[in-house]
Amino acid sequence: MTTQPDADSLLVDRIRRGETQAWDDLIARYEGRLLAFVESRLGRRGPSEDIVQESFLGFLNSLPNYDGRRPLESYLFSICAYKLTDHLRREGRRPAVPLSSASDTSGDWQVSDSARQASSIARSGERKELEIKAITEALAEQIDRWREKAEWTKLMCAELLFVRGWANKDVAEHLDITEQQVANYKFDFIARLRTLVKRQDLSEEVFPELYEDEAES
Amino acid sequence: MPRITQSDLQAYLDEALPPDEMAAIEAELRSRPDLLRQLALINGRRDAGVHSVGEIWRRQRLSCPPRQQLGSHLLGALDEGHAAYIDFHLNVVGCRYCQANLEDLRRQQDETAEMVKTRRTKYFQSTAGHLRKKS
Repeated sequence: MTTQPDADSLLVDRIRRGETQAWDDLIARYEGRLLAFVESRLGRRGPSEDIVQESFLGFLNSLPNYDGRRPLESYLFSICAYKLTDHLRREGRRPAVPLSSASDTSGDWQVSDSARQASSIARSGERKELEIKAITEALAEQIDRWREKAEWTKLMCAELLFVRGWANKDVAEHLDITEQQVANYKFDFIARLRTLVKRQDLSEEVFPELYEDEAES
Repeated sequence: MPRITQSDLQAYLDEALPPDEMAAIEAELRSRPDLLRQLALINGRRDAGVHSVGEIWRRQRLSCPPRQQLGSHLLGALDEGHAAYIDFHLNVVGCRYCQANLEDLRRQQDETAEMVKTRRTKYFQSTAGHLRKKS
């Protein structure tokens, strides 16, 4: 990950106290990467700078609700992605999706739907966070292990299978390994995650892709 | 365009695919209502609390190299295997956030201090007034 947690959390504390120098520092630290993110999609400097500006405002608006445990860079990118999506919708480039979710990309800077019952949101949210935390820790541990051993092929294989959703055959071809090797890596990886789900007493139903093979057989 | 995977659609909803792939999916969506339905289904699954390993991996940025490593990569200072992995993460996985970080690092070498200062001053002046009100 690309964050400096301690430095960032100190910076956010100072911004919460209203220190303008800290706000200036945050802008200096992050505006370049946010601008590159937006401009790569819009291709125009002026509107891209406007979106970055809106994102900084969105960050200040959401500051009372910002959970300092969340990496600051990822949080800023999420706000920026949301503002960019909104801009693209207004321009007619991005079609609206029916039955839109109370999207995870909108986060805390969106006004929450007062019609939903707070208790049910809090309960399901807590449970969901716990599940995400457990899988995140297991994945991070596995990825660190591959990195330490320089097992780059295994890391690439898992990333193509799960992050990009490629088929075994395409992964094998791209990495110049056999389909059997891909299947073996995948099997081991899924087995580890299943063990974790069981050990932590998480619901199998909320991780359907880990049990697809069982459902098919 | 190549086959659009479920993972691509999940990343599309989060504005997380490389720009050319985002644009390609937008173009497909105009003529393919089935894709719009798939996006709606993904949103429905998210609302129901169903997880995807890839989505967690991507959102938590579990394999993103630290920014300093991207800087070392730019300078050609990493060993071959590590450098090949970062190239893969940037160009095959197409991580938008790491691409943005790398582009920012590249620009730091090209932009004048005056250009950067003008932009940062604009951001600061247009937002600093909100600092105390909201925190």
